[in-house]
Formats: sequence, C-alpha cells, structure tokens
Amino acid sequence: MSSASVSSRIPPLLDPYLALPPEASLVLLTSVLGASSNWLVLRFLHRALLGPDASSNASADGDTKVLLVSFMRDLAFWKENARRLGLDLDKLAAKKRFAFVDGLSGLFLPKQRALSGRGGEKILNSSDLTALYGELQQAIQSLGDAGRVLLVVDQLDLVLATGGDRVDAVGLGEMLLGLREHVHATVLTLSADSPLVSVQQTPLETDHAAFLLGMAHQADLIMSLRLLDSGTARDVSGVVRITAGNQTGEMDQGTQQRVEEKELLYFVGGDGGVKVFERGQ
Amino acid sequence: MSFRKRNVGVAQPGDQAAGRVKSEGIQQPGLRPSPVDGRLTTSTGTRSLDALLAGHAGLALGTSLLVEESGTTDFGGALLRYYAAEGVVQGHNVHVLGIGEAWGRDLPGLSGGESATNKEERKNPEERMKIAWRYERLGEFGGSRDRSISQSSGASSSSQTQSIFCHDFDLSKRLILPSSAKMHFVPTSLRPSLDFTDAEAASAPFIRFLTHLSTQLSSSPSSIHRVIIPTLLSPALYSSDASKPENVLQFLHALRALLRKYPAQLTAMITLPLTLYPRTTGLTRWMELLSDGVLELAPFPSTAIAVKAAPGASTVHEEPPQGMLKIHRLPVFHEKGGGGGESSGFGDDLAFTLSRRKGLVIKPFSLPPVEGDSEAQQGALEGDHGKATKADIDF
Repeated sequence: MSSASVSSRIPPLLDPYLALPPEASLVLLTSVLGASSNWLVLRFLHRALLGPDASSNASADGDTKVLLVSFMRDLAFWKENARRLGLDLDKLAAKKRFAFVDGLSGLFLPKQRALSGRGGEKILNSSDLTALYGELQQAIQSLGDAGRVLLVVDQLDLVLATGGDRVDAVGLGEMLLGLREHVHATVLTLSADSPLVSVQQTPLETDHAAFLLGMAHQADLIMSLRLLDSGTARDVSGVVRITAGNQTGEMDQGTQQRVEEKELLYFVGGDGGVKVFERGQ
Repeated sequence: MSFRKRNVGVAQPGDQAAGRVKSEGIQQPGLRPSPVDGRLTTSTGTRSLDALLAGHAGLALGTSLLVEESGTTDFGGALLRYYAAEGVVQGHNVHVLGIGEAWGRDLPGLSGGESATNKEERKNPEERMKIAWRYERLGEFGGSRDRSISQSSGASSSSQTQSIFCHDFDLSKRLILPSSAKMHFVPTSLRPSLDFTDAEAASAPFIRFLTHLSTQLSSSPSSIHRVIIPTLLSPALYSSDASKPENVLQFLHALRALLRKYPAQLTAMITLPLTLYPRTTGLTRWMELLSDGVLELAPFPSTAIAVKAAPGASTVHEEPPQGMLKIHRLPVFHEKGGGGGESSGFGDDLAFTLSRRKGLVIKPFSLPPVEGDSEAQQGALEGDHGKATKADIDF
C-alpha cells in the first residue's frame, strides 16, 4: 500500500461521481457496520475544496465552501484523516471555506461548563430539531454569501435514533429540506444495515427505514457501501454501488450528465489511500 | 500478605520504566505505542485479544469494545474481569457500572509463574541479554502474529526494567486489591422512577454515571481510566426505562463523546447479552454502530464441550475450543474504511478457549482431521468421539 501517491488520493474511477453535484441536488452515501463511509466523505471534501473546480475560474460563483456536520465523529478525526489527503482543514477554516459543526461532543453529555468550539467549530448541545435547524442555518450563514456551499451531514440518522418520540422521520426530512434551501448541494450519510431497514418492528426501525427510503427517493445520486457478499478478502474492503436517483424531471436539461450506474470494489489501505477497481481487475 | 508484596514489586518496574522512557512518549504504566501508527494502546488483560485488534497489539486509548454473547454463559464477563484486573494491577482508574463491589473482589489474581519469571528477569539481566532481544520482545507481545517494530528501538537498553504490558492471571486465585486500587462502582437504579419528572430524570442511572466519569476525567488529567459495563440492559441490573432506545443510545453516544474528548486517557469495554437483544434488531445495531469494536462470542452448547474434551485431550495436547468468536468491527481499523491490516483477524474463523491459567485464548479455528481421510488419524479419531466432534462442528 505504499502507492498512496497524489493520483490515488482520488480514485480515477470514482472521480466523475465526486465532482461538485449540480445545484440543489442531494447525494446519499449509505454505509453498514464494517464498511464505513468516512473515506468517501473525505474524498468529497477533497474534491470540493481542492479539486479542479474548487476555486473556479468562473469567479462569479466564487469558491466552493464546505460545511461538515458530524454526529458520530469529532473534528480531530476528520482533521487527521484529511491531512493524509493533503487537506489542511484549519487553514481552510481560517479562510472561511470550511466550517465544522460537532454533533458528538456536547449533544448528550451532561453539561459541566459551557462548551465553546474554537475557530470554525461549533458544538451542538441540543438534539431538538428547531434548535438544530437554527444552529445549522447560522453555521451556513457564517460561511458568507459569496460562493457555493456544499453541506455534508454525517450520520443524521443518529438524531432520529436518539430522539425518541420527539423526532420522527417526517420532521427530520423537513428540517433537512429547509437546510437544503440555503446551500448549493448536500451530501448525506446514513446507515443502511439490514436490521435497521428490513424488519421494521420497533418504532426505531420503522422510523429509520422511512427516513432512509425517503432520502433515497429524493437523492440524485446514491453511493452505497457494503461488505463483500462472498466473505472477506485480504485486498478488498468492500463494494460501492452507484445508483442514479430519480432524475426524470431533469432529463431534458442535462442528458449528458446522466449518471452511469456501476458497482465497484474498493480497498482502503492502512495509510488511508484508497484503490477503486472493477470486479476481476 | 506475601502476595500483596509481590504485587507491589510488579508495579514498580513499570513506574521506573515510565520514568526512563519518558522521552519516548510513554508516561503511564500499562501503555505502549501501537506498532502500526504509534497511537497509545493499553492491554485488555487478554493477550490473544490484544493481538487481534488490527495490528495495534492493544486497545487504542479513546476507543471502546462491545462484546456480545449469546446464551447463558459468561465468557464476556471473564474478558471484563481480566480487563479490570489488568487495570487494577497497572494502577489505572476502573469504573464499573451497575454491579456491586463484590464483583471487584472476584477478579482473577496474578498467576505465580508470571511474577516468578519477572523476578528472575530482574535478577540476572546479563543472562537475559544473551537471548536476541528481538525474539524476546515477540514473546511479550503475545506470540502469534505480532510486529514489534516501533518498540524495538531502545528495547535492548531498557529491557531489564521494561514494564509489563499484559499480565498473566490465574482464574483460581483472587486478586487482592491493593489499598491504592482506584475502583469505582456506580450503581444503577432498578426501580423505574414513578414520579412524573422530566425526561432527564428517566435516564438518571446513565446520567449519574456520565457525570461521575466526566468529573473523574477532568479532575486528573494524566490518569488512565477504564470503563466497564457488564451485561448492558440486563433486566437484573437496569430498569425498563434504560432500555428505551433513546436512553441507551444517548448514553452510548455520550460515552463515545467522552472517549473522543479524552483520547489519551479512556478506554471502555461493554458486554451485551445477545439472547435478550438479538443482532437482528435495530437497537442492537445502533449500539454496535456507536461502539468502536464489536466482537461476538458464540459458545458451543455445553454438551458439546463435554464430549469434545475427550478426543481433544487424547489426540492434540491442547484444550478443545469452547466457542467461536466473530469480529464485526475493529477499533480504528474500520473507522478508516477497513483494509490494510494483514494481522487483523477480521473474517477469519476464530475459536476461543477459557482455561484457568491461560485465561481466554483466541486462535484460528481449525477443523479436526476428517475421519477416514488418511491413515494418520485412524488411531485416535476412529471411535465415537471422532464422530461427535465432526457433528458438532458441522453447522
């Protein structure tokens, strides 16, 4: 795995899918236990912040900015792994091109003293949907008006699972829709483990399935990660299936942008480098 | 009493070593940098489990391990006891949720052989130097497939006072807790609160534990802490309120937040009874998603052990496996995406054996030779025993 060169930072086969999504679109990444979507989220960040269309020559649009909201991981994790890709999140935060909302550190811990994030970081301390919406909207505005904002929400389903009776799938979907009005495009990661989707006996399961299916129907591009069906292999971490969403309404305006549906294998090396390849290669 | 003395003797070289190798970044006893990426790890108290954790050769600080077990056996509890005992011996703070102090008096004691060899090591370091230090380190790492790259630097110079990372315990002995042992037992309240208070009070057992943890962690910034949660959500220990998804998941999320907030101080190990909370439910899956490592213990039915014991003892000189171990997720490894760790046991067929002296030993599961395959096994395996073995394993 020593070949973590610049070229392997963004796997060539995935490159077309990682490009900044068209306006108002939703990209859904699903993961299962053992096949996390973190590496893919990092590639989206890399492509949006450093990619060829990041600091666009069409300066009317301005730079692409990213707001990362993470409910399962803290900023240290994202910083460390972004650094391996050559992405300095601190520097980008100082330039107001990146902002982080921490949904882990303060969400359910009993408050001891006021948690205050450092520059470019905001720590959520309430899982109430109205409060959440307010905080996130504020964070989007803090990135400034110029430029396109890519909203990346990592594991929004946690809010649903821990919300009990207060949060339901419809309410959460509406909140996300409200946020999407303020940004250029949205990348959302959700868990799609079969116990969460297929049985649907408890409210936790039915809510999760309803939310996931709702998002999948809204999405313009779905990349779902899963483990190999045939067991584990030394040189394969998992399978990524790329599915185009329901784009019939927009077919006439951009036919050449029609997403090619594919199923690829991927391998994440110990150093964070990723190889993506077709079956049999 | 004599035992206690020895205990102190064991702890001391750790302190000395800590003083000596401070420049290398090891401040605390019972910690060592991972051979993979240098992050600090601590021992689970079970050597073969340390060896499984994706090449880190220990449980990385700031991560948690969820051990699931089906059936009525308590192998997971044994793992917890070793983890707690290792913490006590290393002088770490041990926090136990839900179980009383009697549990703490039942921890396995240090096995005599360990301290004897330890004494010997200290007695004649010159003799020890004759053995190539490389292989010696390998022995301490736990044998099988470990790498000892980063450790080897300077190991030759400080080997005689090298702190012990993972001790050997003997289940038949009881660990005599030193007076300095920092064990904290936080009880859970069994009765559901009947008064109509706000939602915060409903999850009071968890809130109390979290407050306890965060005050302990913030008050002593250099101490190492271990969180032990035996049989999470078992009705014997928890009220029905606790097993509401929002309560337990909020707790696990908060625990995860603490682990990330103190990434150089805290580890956690949780056991979960799978018979009560099967893996096919969404609640269990969320608990798994909120943990860094997920292991599943699937013990063989007890009748199988009794039958299997006979051929195992007569043919091979090792004990027959008592169950299978499945790895569903490994700390750090799967968070990155999963891959590149050749020494992870992920996906392998692993079996475990719990014995009095060796503790819980995890090793690759191998089927006994098939009957009538060649003349080599005919002598030992031809009887009824061989047949029974085959039938048990054919699942």
